Amino acid sequence: MNAVYKILGLPAELLCKVPGIGPIVKVCCTSVGQKILMALTGLSLCGFLVAHLGGNLNLFAGKDAFNGYAEKLHSLGPLLAVAEVGLFATFLLHIGLAVSTTAMSRAARKNEYEKKATKQSGFILPNGGASNLMLVTGLIVFAYLVVHILDMKLNVRGFPGASEIPGEGDKFEHVRAVLLDFKTAVFYAVCMLALGIHLSHGVRSACQSLGISHPRWNKLISIGGVLFAWLIAAGFTSIVVWPWAVVPH
Amino acid sequence: MSNDTLNLTLRIWRQENATSTGAFRDYKLAGVSTHMSFLEMLDVLNEQLITSGEEPVEFDHDCREGICGMCSLMINGKAHGPDNATTTCQLHMRRFNDGDTIVIEPWRATAFPVVRDLVVDRSAFDRIIGAGGYVSVNTGNAPDGNAIPVPSTTQETAMDAAACIGCGACVAACKNASAMLFVSAKVSQLAVLPQGKAERNERVLNMVAQMDKEGFGHCTNTSECEAACPAEVSVSNIARLNREYVRASLMSGG
Repeated sequence: MNAVYKILGLPAELLCKVPGIGPIVKVCCTSVGQKILMALTGLSLCGFLVAHLGGNLNLFAGKDAFNGYAEKLHSLGPLLAVAEVGLFATFLLHIGLAVSTTAMSRAARKNEYEKKATKQSGFILPNGGASNLMLVTGLIVFAYLVVHILDMKLNVRGFPGASEIPGEGDKFEHVRAVLLDFKTAVFYAVCMLALGIHLSHGVRSACQSLGISHPRWNKLISIGGVLFAWLIAAGFTSIVVWPWAVVPH
Repeated sequence: MSNDTLNLTLRIWRQENATSTGAFRDYKLAGVSTHMSFLEMLDVLNEQLITSGEEPVEFDHDCREGICGMCSLMINGKAHGPDNATTTCQLHMRRFNDGDTIVIEPWRATAFPVVRDLVVDRSAFDRIIGAGGYVSVNTGNAPDGNAIPVPSTTQETAMDAAACIGCGACVAACKNASAMLFVSAKVSQLAVLPQGKAERNERVLNMVAQMDKEGFGHCTNTSECEAACPAEVSVSNIARLNREYVRASLMSGG
């Protein structure tokens, strides 16, 4: 594990020596710096979720609306490719930081307690709530992402409606076909639940990591974070449920 | 007040020294007065052990009035026992029931190695303070008390952070064994006051660097530390440390 950690840390170690950006990279290597980066990447990904959900809600407006939206998106061409690479990098950074900070924390307590209990109260989820489920829910979301890209973008399972040529084919029918596969729909719904749990701690935690905290606003940040999490999760879940509930005219 | 007594089973971590592998041992203790503090109960156990020719259980303690930060103990999985805003020495046996089994463990963190039984080495905290948790003042005449105006709310903020007694319960309770609540309290108590502002950048950078070097974990904002803290230090100090850290990383140096 230590060797893996060393190899993963190598690029950062070299970057530390580059004049100009060196001090910033050095900061990113500390526990606090990593959490700040984790927060920044996490909130950026939240921005992506909002945009993605907003676009996908076009499904409810019907075939023409959704296919029109898809076409417009693909007509961006190289801009879309840049956005995709940026998004991919943000995901990788977020996951990489999760691995790095988790390794740090595992090393910080090698012998576990025989008995451990929380002194906090008022959690719906056991053992201190969503904050203790970040890694597992994050991994579920990552698994979802892989399956989602394989089906929606690369169409490896050969659902109808997709086309080899970008901008062609019936995206609307393709999405419906994927979501009408029962196993996929259940998997998607479970993953959206995990996403909701992940964000319900993530948003508030990101604010705290960035130092955004004030007695006057903390309650709003807490409630707003949870509300945002479950609105996003519910929004995406509604899309999963939609092809089962509505038959297009 | 009733004069109840308890018969208890104590499941205590016994470890000869820093290098030996420890294990739990069960002890029966009868007739414990509910008016005793938790540490007095351990004193009674030790009397019993000494009488029977066994080694007494080592545990840290000093003032026994909740202000020195020496006592520790993970009691039934909770740092300083079941009560909030309480140190182990202020915990009373009336919080337990007759026939209970009480699991007593030392703080567990790589940065807090066990010295013996329930005693851990918390000098990592001292080294973090040594890295920047002070204000450098050249001695001279004492300045006039009102020369530097400090609003009372700011004083209170500093004082709330300064309430930290450095016991390490935050580290013990944190699932990541993070020392962020301790470090943030020590950064905050100085960062908000004019006397501490002069060295604020170097202070936060050096103290965080030392914290990482000691092998504490990262902060994942569970707030478990705040609930375990006997001095009720707030996690808003952690947010302040993060702000100080961003500020120092972007602005310090030339």
